[in-house]
Amino acid sequence: MAIGHVGVAAPRPRASLHVRVRELLDRERFLGPAFVTPALFLLLLLVAYPFVMAVYFALSDSFIGRPSHFIGLKNFLALWQSDAFRQTFQNAFVFTGISVALKLVLGVSLALLLSRQLWWKRAIRGAVLLPWVIPTALSTLGWVWMFDSLYSVVNWTGLALGALDPPGPNWLGQRYHAMAAVITVNVWRGLPFFAITILAGLVSIPRELYEAAESDGAGPASRFWYVTLPLLKPVLAIVILFSTIFTFSDFNIVFVLTHGGPINSTHLFATLARQIGLETGRIGEGAAISLYLFPVLVFVVWAQLRYVRRQVY
Amino acid sequence: MEPLSRRRFLATSAGLAGVLAAGVPPARGQQREISYLCWNNFAPASDKKLAEIGQRFTKDTGIKIRIDHIAHSQQAAKYASEVQSQAGHDLVEMRMHFPWLYEPQLVDVSDLVAELEKKHGKVLSSGYEAAHVKGVWRAVPQYHAYFVPTYREDLFKKAGLKIPDTWEDVYTVGRELKKMGHPVGIPISQNYDSISTAGPVLWCFGAREVEKDGTTVAINSPQTAEAVEWYKRVYRDCMEPEVLSWTDASNNQTMQAGKSGWIHNPVSTYVVAKKKKLVTADAINHHRSLAGPGGRHETDVPRSIGIWKFSKHVEPAKEWIRYLLGKREVYDEYVMSGDAFNLPVYTNLQDHAILKSDPKYAGLKGEGVQYHIYGWPAPPSDRIQLITNSFILPNMIAKAVTGTPTREAIVWAENEMRKILKG
Repeated sequence: MAIGHVGVAAPRPRASLHVRVRELLDRERFLGPAFVTPALFLLLLLVAYPFVMAVYFALSDSFIGRPSHFIGLKNFLALWQSDAFRQTFQNAFVFTGISVALKLVLGVSLALLLSRQLWWKRAIRGAVLLPWVIPTALSTLGWVWMFDSLYSVVNWTGLALGALDPPGPNWLGQRYHAMAAVITVNVWRGLPFFAITILAGLVSIPRELYEAAESDGAGPASRFWYVTLPLLKPVLAIVILFSTIFTFSDFNIVFVLTHGGPINSTHLFATLARQIGLETGRIGEGAAISLYLFPVLVFVVWAQLRYVRRQVY
Repeated sequence: MEPLSRRRFLATSAGLAGVLAAGVPPARGQQREISYLCWNNFAPASDKKLAEIGQRFTKDTGIKIRIDHIAHSQQAAKYASEVQSQAGHDLVEMRMHFPWLYEPQLVDVSDLVAELEKKHGKVLSSGYEAAHVKGVWRAVPQYHAYFVPTYREDLFKKAGLKIPDTWEDVYTVGRELKKMGHPVGIPISQNYDSISTAGPVLWCFGAREVEKDGTTVAINSPQTAEAVEWYKRVYRDCMEPEVLSWTDASNNQTMQAGKSGWIHNPVSTYVVAKKKKLVTADAINHHRSLAGPGGRHETDVPRSIGIWKFSKHVEPAKEWIRYLLGKREVYDEYVMSGDAFNLPVYTNLQDHAILKSDPKYAGLKGEGVQYHIYGWPAPPSDRIQLITNSFILPNMIAKAVTGTPTREAIVWAENEMRKILKG
């Protein structure tokens, strides 16, 4: 038996951990999921889990600290029997419709104003954001005092100027006045979001388009209708979409200002859900109130996003 | 350092494994520490005193106590989250009907209440209604603060007005007060003070929301119609429309600011005016709770202390309750610090020294007054609480005073209550 030379392959030098990690990061198949996973995990934990729990509660007779049972859509059907809920349903549409419309008109106007060459432009743009930055519960407390029946500065000013008859309107005690008050505060708070976002859209419109329109003899109104507005449409659609969702689900303003009164005339889904779900312990009904408009909002989101995609592509 | 023997190493390792497996620290490592969550008392001195008593409790018993406070408006949400997560404080302060709401989550404290009743006498009826749930004490009655007619003594003297004894008398003096520019201040809005006044008015006129059985709606009655008519007259002739927008604090503020001549509120209106040295403080006084054809009834807000079932420190928690409420000198000290806002809830302590500490507390002695919690005479089940929390009673009155015919407003309330009790 011949004994030949047995060649032993020299061990390949093992790549250092640093090098291996770099190699891994160079692969797109790994890098993509690696970036997405933390966000996905957060979404699952902070959005999906609470949402699934809310759906489960809404379909159950869940009561704080007691065993719950699946009851299907019973909560959703039973709610419609309640006068307070039907009123809330109506309030939500009135409140959201008027607020978003006002914020849109005023937001576009303010954005157009801010896009001009103003003195202290940066300071003014910063100041416009203040209502958006201040915590809502805190700023609404200021409005409570302004609409207060005893200390109302609004009435005091109106009376001093002779614009109001004494004792002045009972802002938070009359159905329509109270709705006007909560809408006013919502518009005041939401206007900066509209203005600044639309301003960003305005700034991105090429100047040449205006120059071309001007050379064709278009006046300011025509330039707005035929240049500014069409190019702003995608931005407006997104802003309206976000604002509609935020306004439908508003809580702080109504809770601090009117507590849903007078006679439930300013209750919104969130405030009624708190009243039923937390103060009375009926978590199932509270969750059903919160989720009542979910299908409608899903449709609104789908329709608007579809519209935006069509506009952009 | 002493060398570690093999035997000792094995013994320590086995012990550590046992602790890890059981999840319970050894007795020597266990800290006797409890936590107590209560509201920000409307009499802040009372919270300071509680902290002081807590420190003494730790010194005397070796049990550490952490006392946390939250605003009363946040209590419901906080308690709900503690129950849902089965984690949080060991003891919680409970307002009015909370023990009914959280009944399955609260430790049976009947033994503690029996001890306290032996020392201080029976718990007052309102304290019993609130914390004695289906035959079991689910919380230990702590103190109570009831509503009381509060008036401007100087205005009454100036106009030669008689102190009201009935709700009808309030209408009589209220007309004069409004003419003087100092209207009556009874909230008719979506807040709890509105219910606190609407309840006694209803009861005194002989009306009820729901019968004692807790299932039969009783609001549609001639007595309710009389009570609503009374509200309409008082709203028209004695008050201003501002009451439709009031919060729980508004009647206090309007009396303290010198506007209202008569309100219905706990003693906090006067206590705060006195503490803040407001010019109106000297002129504010109280009188006996009012009567009507149905008797003399008043709203009471009893508070009690409950222990969550998920607490791992039930016995130390009970020791704290014994220390705070069972030791007469400690309980007296605590009650005195509240300046007549936190009154003793046990019968033998009703003639308490706090009521003699200021001549203006004389009106708080409720001889012949029957104190109740919301929804009386129905037991405060979750459905009765939904009726209360939906503000059906003040909304019925608000509808009537703003133009809805009395009968229509009552039928609306009846239907809403029926739906809740049926649902």
